Amino acid sequence: MDRENAIEVKNVKKKFKIYYDKSNDLKDRILFRNRSHYEDRWVLRGISFNVKKGEAIGLVGHNGCGKSTTLKLLTRILYPDEGTIEMSGRVSSLIELGAGFHPDMSGRENIYTNAAIFGLTKKEIDRRLDDIVEFSELEEFIDNPVRTYSSGMYMRLAFSVAINVDADILLIDEILAVGDANFQKKCFDKLREIKANGTTIVIVSHSLGQIEQICDTSYWIDEGLIRESGTPKIVHELYLKSMELKRIEQLEKTHTHETEKREQEDEEKKKKISEEKAHAEAELPAFCHKTAIRMGEGQAEFTDVRLLDRDGNKKYVFDTEDEIFIRMDYKSHRKELKGNFGIGIFREDSLHCYGTNIEIESGHFAELHDSGTVTVKVMNSLLPGNYFLDVAVHSDDGRMYDDIRRVCSFVVTSDVRDIGVCRLKTVWNVDGNELVRREANE
Amino acid sequence: MTTIKELYDYREMIFSLVRKDLRGRYKGSVLGFLWTFINPLFQLIVYTIAFSFILKSPIEKYYLYLFVALVPWIFFSASIQGGANSINAAKNLVTKIYFPREVIPISYVTSCFVNMLLTFIIIFIVLAFSVVFSDVQINFIALLTLPVIWVVEYVMALGLALLFSAVTVFFRDMEHILGIITMAWIYLTPVLYPIETIQNERIRKLFYINPMTSVIEAYRDVLYYARVPKFSTLMIAVAFGIIMLVLGEFVFSKLKRHFAEVM
Repeated sequence: MDRENAIEVKNVKKKFKIYYDKSNDLKDRILFRNRSHYEDRWVLRGISFNVKKGEAIGLVGHNGCGKSTTLKLLTRILYPDEGTIEMSGRVSSLIELGAGFHPDMSGRENIYTNAAIFGLTKKEIDRRLDDIVEFSELEEFIDNPVRTYSSGMYMRLAFSVAINVDADILLIDEILAVGDANFQKKCFDKLREIKANGTTIVIVSHSLGQIEQICDTSYWIDEGLIRESGTPKIVHELYLKSMELKRIEQLEKTHTHETEKREQEDEEKKKKISEEKAHAEAELPAFCHKTAIRMGEGQAEFTDVRLLDRDGNKKYVFDTEDEIFIRMDYKSHRKELKGNFGIGIFREDSLHCYGTNIEIESGHFAELHDSGTVTVKVMNSLLPGNYFLDVAVHSDDGRMYDDIRRVCSFVVTSDVRDIGVCRLKTVWNVDGNELVRREANE
Repeated sequence: MTTIKELYDYREMIFSLVRKDLRGRYKGSVLGFLWTFINPLFQLIVYTIAFSFILKSPIEKYYLYLFVALVPWIFFSASIQGGANSINAAKNLVTKIYFPREVIPISYVTSCFVNMLLTFIIIFIVLAFSVVFSDVQINFIALLTLPVIWVVEYVMALGLALLFSAVTVFFRDMEHILGIITMAWIYLTPVLYPIETIQNERIRKLFYINPMTSVIEAYRDVLYYARVPKFSTLMIAVAFGIIMLVLGEFVFSKLKRHFAEVM
């Protein structure tokens, strides 16, 4: 082991047995002896990294990627199936706060029990007792039984013990959610202080900001492998980007799925209606969102409304900077109608973001054919959120031919963290120097 | 070796678990810690009445004869049965944080052991009364060997507790099997009767394969017969103790890595 390193992880692999149907009793064991009841799932497929003494690293990744397993391996709760882990110095973990706390015993007694579990001797605990009590801010309550504590007090006490162990290596799993904002800040400052004193820190967290503030290096674990490592900020942006892509994929998938389902149901309904020839009342057609409301006299009507990208593909998720194409197919039941097509965009909380129509844009109306198509190209500048589109076609004197509220929904996402309703172009100038606009993901 | 060093570092955890167990045992009861003494005292009183008036035994002062063997036996069987379940019972600790896993069975057996030592206070008081008020004798030189017997029995119990606690994690039935084994074991050990009851020489020799036979005999030599136990008896017990501890720790150290995975 390199003397400069506090932790050396070499090609560590870990598998778990996933039982399909765990039954331990004799009958099943004898009857189904040859049947394999489990499958090996490799949670870690070969992870290697070194942590220098005094360095702080963060482990990030989506749920189930293996980052907590890595931490458990470092804690030595679990052991690797292959590969080696070497560590030098005393290890303390902030994984399970308050381990061994006994509700009937006083705060003071519990400090002793809890600290003993971290491997401290009585003398060592005596020496730290004042610091622990002071840090926890529980001076008045320290001799009351722990069961009388509020959950915040409980966590404060537990955290104070764990962080005062004076470990050489500190392992942290998602803890900085302890107590109120004040106490959190205090924990954070304490962590920094500990780091400055040369303690090696490993943090697993979903709060990327916290990792960025403390850690020197970040490891992005994906599917049991280290996908990226390096400066936290950069790794995290890559990670977020990938997460976002995944999310969009997921959204598109569910959306397509739902639309298909609706179209299918619609087919069936149509069939049924034509069979029964029961009523002439129009059902909502497939292209409409399930919460859509349709009104109008029907001299002209929409036959399809959809959102497309530049290449004409159906799309559901757009970036703030994307172009959105609204395609409306219509048919007209009478000759020589004049029509005014309009669109409206609402945020899901009903905020009316934008609305316009042909008359506003051009000053005159459209001549309607038997059937036709109107396309609107929208330079999107809406900020992330869920939106609904309304479309309408009215007569030149304002009579409503067809009007569909919430005809479709769409989602806007963005990498940029500006806030508000939509993106306004801004140009910044500081002391005479114009700032260059940062490209996303750089 | 590293395990021993580590256990030394974690000594405070062992003490604290033992303290918690001893104090927690009678927590909330009015008499509290006094129960540690009241329990065995009344046990002795009941035996005295039962075996003096109801079930008359040919053995003189049978209540004392029984008691000096029964107290160590109870420690032994409690250590095995409770010890076997000790890792499972500490699931919360084992799956959440690191510490040398041996700490758990060691604390359990130690807590039973301390409990037995406290009961010995009652034994000594009864012995003292018997010396004053009847013809019972005390051999002070023999009493000096008592700590050796204690340690040997402790080591044996610890060895088995390590072995069975590790096995029980993977094989839960062990707990119930041990219930049956300890129940039978007491009759294979001269606790309730003298070994001389067994007429057949060969069978009697077989009884000495049972590690507890030598231990119980040693206790009885010191406390009932007031004589120094035979050196050979002690040596057999020591040898058994070491073998069991080594075997127990061997199995334990092989299995302990996988505790957290199956719990």
